[in-house]
Amino acid sequence: MSRREGSLEDPQADSSVSLLPHLEAKIRQTHSLAHLLTKYAEQLLQEYVQLQGDPFGLPSFSPPRLPVAGLSAPAPSHAGLPVHERLRLDAAALAALPPLLDAVCRRQAELNPRAPRLLRRLEDAARQARALGAAVEALLAALGAANRGPRAEPPAAAASAASATGVFPAKVLGLRVCGLYREWLSRTEGDLGQLLPGGSA
Amino acid sequence: MPAGRRGPAAQSARQPPPLLPLLLLCVLGAPRAGSGAHTAVISPQDPTLLIGSSLLATCSVHGDPPGATAEGLYWTLNGRRLPPELSRVLNASTLALALANLNGSRQQSGDNLVCHARDGSILAGSCLYVGLPPEKPVNISCWSKNMKDLTCRWTPGAHGETFLHTNYSLKYKLRWYGQDNTCEEYHTVGPHSCHIPKDLALFTPYEIWVEATNRLGSARSDVLTLDILDVVTTDPPPDVHVSRVGGLEDQLSVRWVSPPALKDFLFQAKYQIRYRVEDSVDWKVVDDVSNQTSCRLAGLKPGTVYFVQVRCNPFGIYGSKKAGIWSEWSHPTAASTPRSERPGPGGGACEPRGGEPSSGPVRRELKQFLGWLKKHAYCSNLSFRLYDQWRAWMQKSHKTRNQDEGILPSGRRGTARGPAR
Repeated sequence: MSRREGSLEDPQADSSVSLLPHLEAKIRQTHSLAHLLTKYAEQLLQEYVQLQGDPFGLPSFSPPRLPVAGLSAPAPSHAGLPVHERLRLDAAALAALPPLLDAVCRRQAELNPRAPRLLRRLEDAARQARALGAAVEALLAALGAANRGPRAEPPAAAASAASATGVFPAKVLGLRVCGLYREWLSRTEGDLGQLLPGGSA
Repeated sequence: MPAGRRGPAAQSARQPPPLLPLLLLCVLGAPRAGSGAHTAVISPQDPTLLIGSSLLATCSVHGDPPGATAEGLYWTLNGRRLPPELSRVLNASTLALALANLNGSRQQSGDNLVCHARDGSILAGSCLYVGLPPEKPVNISCWSKNMKDLTCRWTPGAHGETFLHTNYSLKYKLRWYGQDNTCEEYHTVGPHSCHIPKDLALFTPYEIWVEATNRLGSARSDVLTLDILDVVTTDPPPDVHVSRVGGLEDQLSVRWVSPPALKDFLFQAKYQIRYRVEDSVDWKVVDDVSNQTSCRLAGLKPGTVYFVQVRCNPFGIYGSKKAGIWSEWSHPTAASTPRSERPGPGGGACEPRGGEPSSGPVRRELKQFLGWLKKHAYCSNLSFRLYDQWRAWMQKSHKTRNQDEGILPSGRRGTARGPAR
């Protein structure tokens, strides 16, 4: 990951420019939260694949990477962007994830009603994504780099549905959403680490 | 190879329930225009089948450019490749699959049947739900804790496993009037249980039944009719105390308090006590403790730790004629019986072995002395027999000393010694 960025005043400046102590504390706190949630996301993914049955849990399983409305995977160019731009994209992704996770949770409640732990993890993931997204946005505001324009609302689960799909595609979609959740959390953790003194933690 | 039990060789009996909409732009199986990629559609989508039945499925390939071929396609089921002899090419773009004698689904979310391209990429998928319709739930039993609620438990039916998610719903209504109500708090005392926390009537019977439903059908239990007062249980008796009965080495006294929630109603309560030795798993039960709050256990081993528990049956509440339901056992309470003053096996040195010796003035005085000792000293084991043993020992050792100066009967050198004090 690029280590160029990190300063309030000049995104191109060396990351050794010191931040206000309380802001630094907030960055550390948010970075720790992202780190913890990344671990939870990994556990969610493992539990999810186990309950869908093989081949979902097999190392060779390679389903089509279907596009998901309102959210894409971090682009390869993400790492080359200025840190505040990366964090804006992270925040936008974290805001888009909760309705997707809620939709997966509702579907899994039908497919795996006797899997309370999975359903709880999905509910928690939606809440945690919301919380981390809000924390990142607060940081951006404190850094003076908040998005000034109107924020695009994430598509509501019932509004942007394409069509009723079969169970297998629903399982694949849920896997995709859980995968995107993990990817974006990991990316957020890395990007927040860039703000810490010394670069990524 | 899927090979289930013999059963009706029927096709899909039922379609799955309607699906919720999802945030999906491209449905798996829809063709992608101009991409050069192939996708497919499996039919039937998500069928529900009886165990032992057969399935004929097809994978139809769409593609750009047109003329996508079915050659090279293959099937997997739950990640395992299916033998090619189960498949056949129906036409240029369709591969068929015939599965017979299906086993019950491996997971409740459905078995994953997938159609693959020659290179292994996934073209389409369908989930199979193979199982049995629910059987009539049986053995409904209910109890009310202190007349405040009702908990019921049931058994799923003779075979139990349906391999499909089966929903159980406990219903109840007042016998002669009222609407059907549905219990809402499930799995309170096990997987097939439900708890009704409030708003229950006394002195009027309820009708209770369980409905089981899954993708293949539904079943209803027989109706159980009961009055809440006939199925009352209560808390275990609190404050159970176990203590010694003076110095009696084979007895313990057990006392407890009537369960507080029903103590004003327990005119005819029955109690049961069970006890066991500390290192044993075998409980002895004292059954005939009626309406008392104390009991004495007898015939116990001396010097032994016992665990004791008590439970209560609140039968006869408000004139109910039914047996009532035993409470849980109280927390174990431990106590030990006094240690016996008689020596155990192998102890023996002070064990009287026979009748009293004949009388004489010395012996009369000795007898008085021994009686006094028993009352005033800690040597109650002393007896005439012990005295006679001592006399015999003294005579023997005196004789031996005269025969062989300094040699003890054991063969050791040294002076003769009296009995150990």
